[in-house]
Amino acid sequence: MTQVLATLVLPLVLLGGIALAAVLDRAVPALVAGRSLKASFVGPITVASSWAVAQTGGTEHPDKVNWILAPILYFTLAAIGLSVVPFAPGVVAADLDSGIVLWGACESLTVVAVFLHGWSANSPLPLIGAYRYVAIGLPAMLLSMFVLIAAALPAQSLAVTDIVEAQRSVWNIVRQPAGFVLFLMLGLSLSLRGPFDYADPYDLVGGTTAEISGTARLTWWLARLAMLVSVSAMTATVFLGGYLGPVLPGFVWLVLKTSLVLVVLVCAGEVFARLPPDRMMNLIWLALLPLSFLMLVAVGVELLLWG
Amino acid sequence: MGLIDLAFLALSAIAIVSGWRVFATDSMVRASFLLLLSFTAVGLIILMLAAPYIGIATIFMMAVEMMVMALFMVMFMMNPAGLNPMMMVHQNRFAIGAGVVAFLGLSAAVLTTDFPTDPVDPGRQVIRDLGLEMLGPSMLIFETAGVTLLAAMVGAVVLSARTGRFGPSDAGSRPPGLEVGGEPAGRRVEKASGHGHHHMHGSHGGNEDVEHAERHPDADGHDADGGESGRRPPLRSDWSVGERTMPLKTEAPS
Repeated sequence: MTQVLATLVLPLVLLGGIALAAVLDRAVPALVAGRSLKASFVGPITVASSWAVAQTGGTEHPDKVNWILAPILYFTLAAIGLSVVPFAPGVVAADLDSGIVLWGACESLTVVAVFLHGWSANSPLPLIGAYRYVAIGLPAMLLSMFVLIAAALPAQSLAVTDIVEAQRSVWNIVRQPAGFVLFLMLGLSLSLRGPFDYADPYDLVGGTTAEISGTARLTWWLARLAMLVSVSAMTATVFLGGYLGPVLPGFVWLVLKTSLVLVVLVCAGEVFARLPPDRMMNLIWLALLPLSFLMLVAVGVELLLWG
Repeated sequence: MGLIDLAFLALSAIAIVSGWRVFATDSMVRASFLLLLSFTAVGLIILMLAAPYIGIATIFMMAVEMMVMALFMVMFMMNPAGLNPMMMVHQNRFAIGAGVVAFLGLSAAVLTTDFPTDPVDPGRQVIRDLGLEMLGPSMLIFETAGVTLLAAMVGAVVLSARTGRFGPSDAGSRPPGLEVGGEPAGRRVEKASGHGHHHMHGSHGGNEDVEHAERHPDADGHDADGGESGRRPPLRSDWSVGERTMPLKTEAPS
């Protein structure tokens, strides 16, 4: 029964989150610049409707099947990822013993979806975006797994519901603050945003989106926003205690925390600059990956001594 | 026939058909992701066999693995991007023989094995049992596989890194011709004109690229036959790409 409820709530959360993210994407720069926020609410609707009616372009000999399927796969992965998030105690769409692993599978398949989106266009700029994204997205995903294992250690379970319950005493953000930051970076990488937007950056004229227009562009945009919502909800659940909180009902707490993470991610995407891909590779492999190992060891030692 | 049976049949069909398409497609990237599709279907079947960790981890690992495999195959083969059609099969006779033997062997194994039919108790902590097995009695196998894979990874990086132990790995490399014995394919990097002229006379032997350019009738860049004005004048070419190989040539004996 609760599973059915969660399955019904999931699309609503996803849609609401997408709307919020689309508005925030415009509101944050407007706030910084001191402009009126009115355009931020109308803007996404105008752009989305113009994409919906615009002609869909094409290239010479694209891989049509993959080109059409890649945005759909991306969106689906966002939805599947969100399905392991418990909305309230016991209300979860996919109550798996290995929920964290399912989330990991969504992360790694996202890299595949973005790569296929760029590759199947059969055009140079999307292809460069696709390769760059794989080079950065794969190690970013790799270190997120160590962060997640460190989050699963105190719960002694791979189920997301157990991980939330284990945070009743102390939230995981206190246990591994660096892990939280690393997971936010993964969020930027999964939703192709700001400092981790190696797939669709301006210097590649939109990268994997350089050759798409019309509904294809609309789908891709929605999928990116959906993944942002999904990763925000996951961050709130794994590090900020998910639905746990006083007075208010659990679902409200989850929505509040998810919105907070969403705002942080959108702001981070606006504020931080993007490193050249090779320097980012060095940073990830030589600094951030060892850091994620250290966090894992620290949590393990803490649990052995005081757990 | 229940829903579980239908799901099993559908997933098996996906696994087999996409597995077959791996060998029928003409692109390395497509082959990799068809294989991923096949493994995903197998992973879902494993999930249905009440082994949630192994099933989902199969999908997870295969997604990463196939992505990396596609990337490294494109890197090692002279097929930029993997979109160009290419022959994906070779050693046909041996492959058919091996395939038949493997099929017969596996069929015999399936037919002669007495598979257990008792369903797993839903309350049983299968993931915990798996973890205890992996880091208990099967520790040696687990660690051996881990170290072997690590060695393979280091080897792949060493082979694919541009800065190898013995200098730039692509020094003097030339792409194969589009037809047998033909001109090397790919982009020609144009040298700065005065500089290039110097090298053509300055280096003796050992540099095939420069010799090749000298033998070419139009190597000096002038279009000898003025009749074909629309033809693109041939470039002074140097097949080795990038700046790093240039200092090597400057040091050539003159």
